[in-house]
Amino acid sequence: MLYIFCPHCGSRSQNEFAYGGDATVKRPELNKEISDQEWNNFVYLRKSPRGKHLELWHHISGCRQWIKVERDTSTHEIFKTYKADELTK
Amino acid sequence: MTVISALQNVHVKGSFGNFENKSENELLKIKELKNLLIVQVVQYRNSSIKIDDINFNKLKFVNQSQTVVSNENVRVLWNSPNNWLLISNKKELLKEIYSTFNENDFAITDLSHSKATIELEGPYVKEVLKKGCPFNFNILTKNMSINSAYNGISFIVDMVENEPEKVRIFSLRSFGESLYHSITDASLEFGYKCN
Repeated sequence: MLYIFCPHCGSRSQNEFAYGGDATVKRPELNKEISDQEWNNFVYLRKSPRGKHLELWHHISGCRQWIKVERDTSTHEIFKTYKADELTK
Repeated sequence: MTVISALQNVHVKGSFGNFENKSENELLKIKELKNLLIVQVVQYRNSSIKIDDINFNKLKFVNQSQTVVSNENVRVLWNSPNNWLLISNKKELLKEIYSTFNENDFAITDLSHSKATIELEGPYVKEVLKKGCPFNFNILTKNMSINSAYNGISFIVDMVENEPEKVRIFSLRSFGESLYHSITDASLEFGYKCN
C-alpha cells in the first residue's frame, strides 16, 4: 500500500485517494485557434514515462482537494507532493 | 423538526457478540445519534474575510487539519481548507449560523438529513476503527477529527472523549447501513451493546 502525503491532511493511505492523470498536460488557451491534431493530442495523447512522473491525485475520502504527486512509476517512490495550485517547475 | 432515523432498519437494541461474562464497562457501546444539527460551512475562494475574525457561539474557527473546536453547544470540525462541519444538539443554532456567516462569503448547507451518525463508546473503540481504516488511530486524541474511509466507505471520525474513548462517526446517509454493518461486524469479537 502506498502512503501519500497530502499537503492539507498529512500522510494518508492510498485508498483514500483517486488517481487523476498526468499533471503536466496543459489545456490549450481559451479562444486560441488550434488544429484538430492539437486538440486530439491534448485530449488523448499521453506519455507513459518510466521514472519520475508528475501526477494529479484527488484526496476523495479526505479533504477532497486535488494535489500533485511526483512519483516514480517503476519503484512507486513518492518524492514530493504539492497543492494543486503550487508551481512545481 | 425530527430527523427520520437513517439506521432504523438495522439498529437493534441488545447485547451482541462476545458479551457474556463481561461487565457493562468492558462492552463497547454503539448507538445511533439522531436529531443532530449538521451544517457545512464553506468559505468562498474570493472571500476576503479573515476566519480568525469570525466568532461563532464564542468559538474561533481554526483552519488546521484534524482540529475540532468545541463548547457545550457545538463542535466545529475541520473538513478541508476553508471548510468546516458544525455539529450541535441545538437546532436553534441554525439561525445563528445564518446570521454569523454572510452569504456572500460563505456557503452554508444543512446536512442534518444527509448523514448517518453512529456513536461508539468503550475500551475497544480504536481497535474497531483500525479494523476497517488504515489511519493511525493511536495519534487520535480528544477534539481531533479525520476524514477517511472505512472498508471503502468515506466517513468522518470525531473524537469526543478520551476516557472512556468516545467517537462519533458520520457517513453519507445512503452508506449508513453498510457502515453500521461493518462497524458491528468488527465489534463482535469484543462484545457490544446497542442502546
